[in-house]
Amino acid sequence: MYDVIVVGQGLTGLLSAIVAKKQNKKVALVAKGTGKMLQSTGLMDLVPGSNKDFSQWMELYGLSNREKITVKDAINEFKRLTEKIGYQYVGDVDKLANIVTSSGHLKSTALYPKTITPIPEKGRVVIVGFTEIVDFQPEFLKGNLQKERPNLQIKTMSVSLGKDSQRTLTQLDAARVLDEKESREQILKQIKEKMKAESTEGVDLFIFPAALGVQQWEEVHTQFSSELKAKVTEAPGLPPNATAIRLHERLRKEAIKLGVRFYADTEVNGFSEKGTINEITIKMSNRSAKLQSYHLLICTGGILGGGLEQTAKGLKETTLHLSVNKEGSYVDLPDHVYPVGASLGTNVIHYGITGGVYSIVSSYLTNFQMEQSDMRGLQRA
Amino acid sequence: MHELSFHETTFEKCLKCNACTVSCPISNTTLDFGGPKHLGPELKRMMDHQEVIDDSRIELCTLCGTCDTSCPENVHVSTLTSYAKAIHAKEKGTKFRDIVLSNAELVGKLASTFAPITNMTMKIKPVRKVMQMVLGIHADRQFPSYEFSNFKRRYNKKHATTERKVAYFTGCYATYNAPDVAGSFIKVMEYNGIDVAIPEQKCCGVPMFANGQMKQGLKNAQFNTNSLLEYTRQGYDIVMTCTSCTSAFKKEYASYLKTEEAKELARHIYDADEYLRILNEEGELNTNFATINAKVGYYAPCHMKGQGIGNPAMDILELIPGFEIQDMAAGCCGQCGTFGFKEEKYPYSLELGKTMATAVEELDADYTVTECGMCKNQLDQLTNKQVKHPMQILKSAYEKVPVNS
Repeated sequence: MYDVIVVGQGLTGLLSAIVAKKQNKKVALVAKGTGKMLQSTGLMDLVPGSNKDFSQWMELYGLSNREKITVKDAINEFKRLTEKIGYQYVGDVDKLANIVTSSGHLKSTALYPKTITPIPEKGRVVIVGFTEIVDFQPEFLKGNLQKERPNLQIKTMSVSLGKDSQRTLTQLDAARVLDEKESREQILKQIKEKMKAESTEGVDLFIFPAALGVQQWEEVHTQFSSELKAKVTEAPGLPPNATAIRLHERLRKEAIKLGVRFYADTEVNGFSEKGTINEITIKMSNRSAKLQSYHLLICTGGILGGGLEQTAKGLKETTLHLSVNKEGSYVDLPDHVYPVGASLGTNVIHYGITGGVYSIVSSYLTNFQMEQSDMRGLQRA
Repeated sequence: MHELSFHETTFEKCLKCNACTVSCPISNTTLDFGGPKHLGPELKRMMDHQEVIDDSRIELCTLCGTCDTSCPENVHVSTLTSYAKAIHAKEKGTKFRDIVLSNAELVGKLASTFAPITNMTMKIKPVRKVMQMVLGIHADRQFPSYEFSNFKRRYNKKHATTERKVAYFTGCYATYNAPDVAGSFIKVMEYNGIDVAIPEQKCCGVPMFANGQMKQGLKNAQFNTNSLLEYTRQGYDIVMTCTSCTSAFKKEYASYLKTEEAKELARHIYDADEYLRILNEEGELNTNFATINAKVGYYAPCHMKGQGIGNPAMDILELIPGFEIQDMAAGCCGQCGTFGFKEEKYPYSLELGKTMATAVEELDADYTVTECGMCKNQLDQLTNKQVKHPMQILKSAYEKVPVNS
């Protein structure tokens, strides 16, 4: 018997599980696959694909001014957590930052890891690609960035990771290569030599793919900026981005260490309510098992996460098979079942995702709702 | 039984999202491995209805099954890689060493018969140097010790008479290397008033699958399926203390043999801790444990994590008063069954084991707990903490209860 069962291990699922576990609750997490964080950039946006600011965001989600404090608390809690797990997020919802992506376009984001530096209006920039990483093309990035920031002086270069590989290398592979000290040194050497050859001086910012280390990101970042005597940023692009993998690996580890029980590679295929207790049936590889809890959190990521499915007859909810309206919101939500983040329906998503900040806030708010429900239960008893 | 060019449709759902390669312990350690996505669904897509392709990079796959767990589309990646291994073994032949290593049962029988000599010999440096030269088994790799008084010599009951009946699939490790684990399990069951029978059994086949010996592995799978079904059909539950054996019966047998029998049997397979947890949920578990004041680190084997059963070892051990247990969340051990013994795989094995060794050091607990004998082998070599099986701890928790309490 669990206090809380969380379905899904994306950002929403992991955060919800961690928050609940910190309240000394018995928590289980049921998941099929690794969650969609691996496909993300690891940046926490307010409204993805737009420059909408905090007050417009509050309005969009129907949050009153009174709730502003709670929202800020949620964000501070997220920052504290990321600092604790060794991957600190910075940024401010009141002041969005302009971040460059690997396509060279700028996007507004609220929270970002310390490996990322916002793009200045003017100054000298060098974009460094790795010859082995085909998903990141410095010239392509330069072309688009120049349009967005005409006052930037942009140069590009490509250096080699110096590794033979038996597979097509991704940003994540490069990041793991950069975890090694010797590799970092030979890469820095190449960059310095190229700068010397082209007499590049007075650089303000170096742009790299989202590949500056996984475990050792802090060392990589510090070493690169001190040796290159400039600010350094990562430009996230096609997955897997190290910016996202670092967060995913660390959140998962934190949840396991706290004692969240992971029922990996399982699927929910039954649900019933017994008074205040929810019972779900999970399908394992060999048979089904029943899990019970007081609270059930649906963190299945909406359409992109697989929690909602687009069918000819409209949206279908795939976890509990309950009816949803045409926006994918639950019509008759059973007591003690809480959709979190993108599971609340298409109203909370833009281009398929919440963008991040809403998921953080939603996980935090759900925890309050659970507490209130527990209090009511106690009062009745 | 599959042919090498077997038909399998789950790979069609692969979106090439990379979740498997991102999660793969080997891919995260070396660029020499092609990765599960490439050597699983992509290779299969290329071969289907066409010529069979032998890709030697598959040798680095350890069949840990993390790819299966990570896939959001439910593609059975490890089924595909295991057949890529079989193809490789068939096309390129199998080293004598790999045939030896894959026959864990035969090795166990021989080694335990001459146990004191085997154990001593395996510690003699010059002998190990020769073994590395002749066989390709790395001289620095510590071997698990073998016991002359193997479990078969200690206990061989064929039928259970209690209401709840358990048939115990002992597995090679608990039979030949750690009969104390097997003995502890029998005791734990005894404290719960459950009789344990030992059915006729052969090695579960996992080391064979991992070395491309698919035919032999499937032969064993078929034998075990027939033998154990006789028990389940009489109301026995099949319980195991090795999470790799359990995983083979739950997952691999059904997807390799593809028979109704294998599926029927899979429904009755339980990991020992999982079984005790069920007893507890049904109010049947004897929870009269003595206090054990210890701070302990738990190391979760890959083959346990893939079963979708949560963390039953910790669920049960937490019932012992005073017992403080913490999951180290430490990734793959790097021993990976026979993988870590091989000369050319040894450096990868050590590299893989680093995160685990660091986690053990950081926690600095009194000792480490894990279900897997092979993880224990790596823990023994890379850490200075003693390693125990959950059953050994439970047994002593029962035994230490004062008689008249």
